[in-house]
This record gives sequence, C-alpha cells and structure tokens, in this order.
Amino acid sequence: MVATAEQAVAAAFRDEWGRIVATLIGRTGDWDLAEECAQEAFAQALTSWSRDGIPERPGAWLTTVAGNRAIDRLRRAARGAELAERAAIDQLRTQDSDYGNDPDADEEEPDVIEDDRLRLMFTCCHPALALEARVALTLRTLAGLTTAEIARAFLVPEPTMAKRLVRAKAKIAAAAIPYRVPPPELLPERTPGVLAVLYLLFNEGYSASAGDALIRAALCDEAIRLVRVLAQLMPEEPEARALLALMLLQHSRRDARVDTSGDLVTLEDQDRSRWHHDEIAEAEALLADRGIGGGGWAGTDLTIGTYRLQAEIASCHVQPHVEWRRVASLYEALELAMPSPVVRLNRAVAVAMAGDLDGGLALVDELAQRGELAGYHLLAATRADLLRRRGDLQEAAAEYERALVLAPSETERRFLQGRIEELGSS
Amino acid sequence: MKYLMLICTDGVSTPEIAATMQEHVPSWAEEMKGRGVRRFGLALEGLGSARTVRVRGGETLIADGPFVESKEFIGGLNVIDCENLDEAIEVAAKHPVSWHFTIEVRPFIDYAQQPGCAPESDPVDIDPSSARYLLMMCLDGIPEAPEVEERIMRDSVAWREQVQASGDYVYGHPIQHANTATSVRVRDGKTLLTDGPFTESKEFLGGFAILSCETQEDAIALAAKHPLARFHMIEVRPFFNHGRNG
Repeated sequence: MVATAEQAVAAAFRDEWGRIVATLIGRTGDWDLAEECAQEAFAQALTSWSRDGIPERPGAWLTTVAGNRAIDRLRRAARGAELAERAAIDQLRTQDSDYGNDPDADEEEPDVIEDDRLRLMFTCCHPALALEARVALTLRTLAGLTTAEIARAFLVPEPTMAKRLVRAKAKIAAAAIPYRVPPPELLPERTPGVLAVLYLLFNEGYSASAGDALIRAALCDEAIRLVRVLAQLMPEEPEARALLALMLLQHSRRDARVDTSGDLVTLEDQDRSRWHHDEIAEAEALLADRGIGGGGWAGTDLTIGTYRLQAEIASCHVQPHVEWRRVASLYEALELAMPSPVVRLNRAVAVAMAGDLDGGLALVDELAQRGELAGYHLLAATRADLLRRRGDLQEAAAEYERALVLAPSETERRFLQGRIEELGSS
Repeated sequence: MKYLMLICTDGVSTPEIAATMQEHVPSWAEEMKGRGVRRFGLALEGLGSARTVRVRGGETLIADGPFVESKEFIGGLNVIDCENLDEAIEVAAKHPVSWHFTIEVRPFIDYAQQPGCAPESDPVDIDPSSARYLLMMCLDGIPEAPEVEERIMRDSVAWREQVQASGDYVYGHPIQHANTATSVRVRDGKTLLTDGPFTESKEFLGGFAILSCETQEDAIALAAKHPLARFHMIEVRPFFNHGRNG
C-alpha cells in the first residue's frame, strides 16, 4: 500500500516531532523557536510531499527543513545583533544537510539526535518545575500535543494551560535549568522523576475519571511511546523497561475493560480475546530479561524496583490462572518499598484471593480502623466484595451501599448498583 | 550566572539545630568560597528591627514588621555564582539551613539584557564589614504601564548613582520574578524542591540594596527616596552585628 502524503506526515509527526524539537532546542537553546520551526516543517511537508513524493528518510528531511527555518529566523533577528547570533547559526549549519534521497547515504548519526531527546525529557521533568508544568511541557515538546489538547486532557481552560507552558519555559531560561542529561551522580535522583511523569501521563489517560475519551487514549499512547524511547536510550536503567512492561500490560486490556454500554468489567469477567496479546507478549519478553532482575522474581531481592514489582503483578493478572499467592507476596514487597494504604488494600485482596479470606478481611478492617482511606470508595467496595465471597451477604450489601455513595464516576456507580441488585436477588 | 540565596528560618532554634549551624555553616562558606561559588553572605537581625517604607502622596509611611507575615522569614542572604540551577540547588542543599528550614534560590536579572543599566561592581570586591542595612524591594507583582516601568527603571539607576556618590552604597541587584524561584529543602537526606518562593504571598522580593549608613533612620530616609517606595514597598533591616559576621 502506498501511503498518501498526509498519512506519511501524520506518521512522521508521531515518530519525529519530539526528536526534531529536541534537536533544535539543543542547537539554538530557544524552545519557542524550536516548536515553531518544527511546526512549519510539518506544514511544508504536507505540500512538498504530495507534490514531490515522500522522501526516503522523512525524519532527516523534516529536521533539515526545520533547521533551515531556524537559520532564516535567526538571520532575520541577527541583523541587529549579528555577532551574538552567529554562533547559533554556525552550529545549525553543521547538521547533516542530506535528507535521504541518496540511497547510498549512511544512516543518520543516531547518537547526537537520540541524546537530544533524552536531554529534552530530563529538562521537561526537572524537579524545580511544578509537577503539572512538567507534565504539560512533556506533552507539548516531546509528544507534540497542542496546548488546546493538553488543556482538554487536564480539564483546564486553554489560556490557563498556555500560561503554564509559557511560565515553565520562562523559568527554564531565566533560572538556567540546564538542557542536559544529568551527570551520573544526579541520575539516581532524577531518573525516577522522569519515570513518574510518564506514569502519571499514562494514568491520566488510563483512569479516565473525566474528560475527552479520545484525548485520554492519546495520553496512554504517548506515555508508552515516550517510555519506549526512554527505555531504548537508557538501556542500563531497569526501571525504564519495567515501566514500559507495566504500561503495556495495563494498556493491553483497554478494549475489554469497559463493555458496550460503557460499564466497567472486572478482570475476571473480561473477554480475553479482546486483549492485545502482542503487547502482552512484548511486556513478558521485557520481564523475562535478566537485565532487569527478570527470569522470575523469587521474593528475596529487596533492591528490586517498584515499577518492576508492579509489572510483575500486572503480569500475574494476565495469566490464564492467576497465582494469587505470588501476587500477595509481590504486594508485600511493594509495600515494603513504597508503603501506602492503597498498596496494602491490594495486598489484602490478593491474600483473600489466595484462599485466606479471613486474613484478607482482617487487613481491610485494620485499614478501615486507621481511617487513612476514609472516603475512598474502593476500600468499601473491596470490603463488600470480600464479605460477599465469604457469604456475609447482608453485611456485603450494606458495604456496597457505602461504596456507592463514595464512587466518583457514573461507570463505577453502575457497577456497584449491579452488585447490590445481584445480592438482592440471590 | 548569579543567584541570590535567601536563608529562611522560622526563628525557633533548638540547641541541636544551633550546634549543627555552628559546626557546618563555616565549612560550607569555606568550601563554596574555595570553589569560587560564594561571593558573600550576611545574616540579618531579627524581625523586631524590620521596618517597611512606603511613600504615598508625598508622605513617607513607616510600619513595623517584615513585608510578608509568614512562618518562615528571611534571616540572611548569600550571593552565589553557579554554572546553572543544578549547581545552585546542590550548593543550597549543602547549606545546613536547608536541612531544617528553607533556602530560596532566585536568579539575578542579567544587566547585559537590560540596556541602559551599568553593571555593578562584582560582589567579590565588597567589604562585608561596611554592610549595615539591607533594603528589600518588595513588589506586588502587578506591572505598571510600560512608560511608568521605564521611568521606575531610570529613577532606580539615578537613585543608585546618588547613593553611591554620597558613599552609602555597598552593593545591590534586581532579581528575577518570583516565578523563577526554587525553594530547596533537604529532609531525610533527600533534596526536595518546590517551584516558587519560600512562602506564597502577593508580595515578593524583586531586588535588594546593601547600605553602609550609620543609623536605621538614615537607611529609611534613603529607602523613601527610591522610586519603588512610591509604587511598592521597601523593607529595611539591619544586618546582624552590623555586618561584622561576613
């Protein structure tokens, strides 16, 4: 099949946007200039490619065109201050001007460009920026979402989002946040921050508490795309690959999580034929890699990362028979590494599902007593579920009612209502 | 790249904290001076001696207290010269105040990008023992009309030249907007950063000037002549032990 110019540009946009912006920021130091020139290059591609055909290496073509645009703009700006800008222009000129219509051309030197994308990721996710600004900046500069799209995804007015982006870029310039991959001594401190932003992006799309469904699906796709890039660029970082596996496993169930009427379907009731098994296979391959402590976690290694543990748990859940005892011990390890009442709640479920209903309920009751999750509908819903499984139907119904009041979304309320009706009719 | 490092504490110190400061502040200062990072640093007297100065309708209004009431307040400042914000954060995180309280790091406004502003002398040349009073220019963040902003800028330069001529001026600098601030706290060995100044408030620090005048009345009189006193507010505070602690 021959792709149309529009399809080719759309594909190139997905694959190349972040790379081009990152390269231009690296060479000019000017974030706005980089975004605008990248945008113009894609606009020019639409007309040029339908007229002259699609270049063999669209990425190189776009990078060159965007780079030329940047030179033009800097030249115009340089008329008044020629010397100051000359360095930037010289640097831009050094880039490869060949864009792939020569079949004998060597592959683009990947090192330089790949590094730029990694630099951009670490800069967007710099901890001196507010978390919401890190997320917005990542989506704008690396994923190429428009300000309007990002605003819709996070349910804020577009001018608010625009202001957030302008402010973040202004701080990067004014406070001299360096455009770089942090030196080795800072990496252990900074890499988790990048992973956290990407996982937050994914969860924003995945949990779909509100907002535009299409944009939310795009968030998941972009998060996976970016963490895939990160995993490639940081092969020595096991948690990047673990996070990729975790996202793939969760995302693989997207078509089965909600039924035709928009209701949530629990894992055990999902139509497995609607899972994306290619994504599960990719995740399993990542987890089997010994490089990230793979080949089966034995429950003894306490230095194992939290994404790795969560990915292992997600992996257990896509097996034909869930090994609940293993899930329970993985949650126990996760709780040690990352103490949180939500993790404990999940551990309680696993303990109950592994056959120890009373043990699971005891953990849930203890959580309820501590009051940390008061107001969290899933605490009540979990307790209700375990009581139902134990046969305490009346108590279970009362607990479902409690969860119903607290549930934040219509889908979840319908699910709980369904449970209550089932109990009433049994 | 120069940054102003604001030392912010809540003024309540335990004997343990006091001992930590006594032990670590001098070695921090020595290390940062040796690295060429620290230009100078001075501690301030407590809030009891803070006065704010405003001029409205030609009348000078003086009030007790700092420009912003908050749990933590500015107890001293350092000027540091760093390669980038990462280095400034590292420097702040090594200062023991960040282990218990907060250090705000704010970039200087680059004079090279402000045509018409003559650069100040490098703060490495200043004599800390001549530093008696600190003026803190407190802005309310609402910009005036462009022509008014321009006039304030011109008048500020004229004010500086005047105070320099009378021999009362030691050093000063405008700093970037509070939006560019980073607050550094170290807890349990982890460096925690916040995007923004040490305390959220409408008013924020926009610049400072160090004066060598003999009395606080003199410093207040000079502050009242500064154009920002007419539009905003200036806090006047003596340096601890009149600067003889630098």
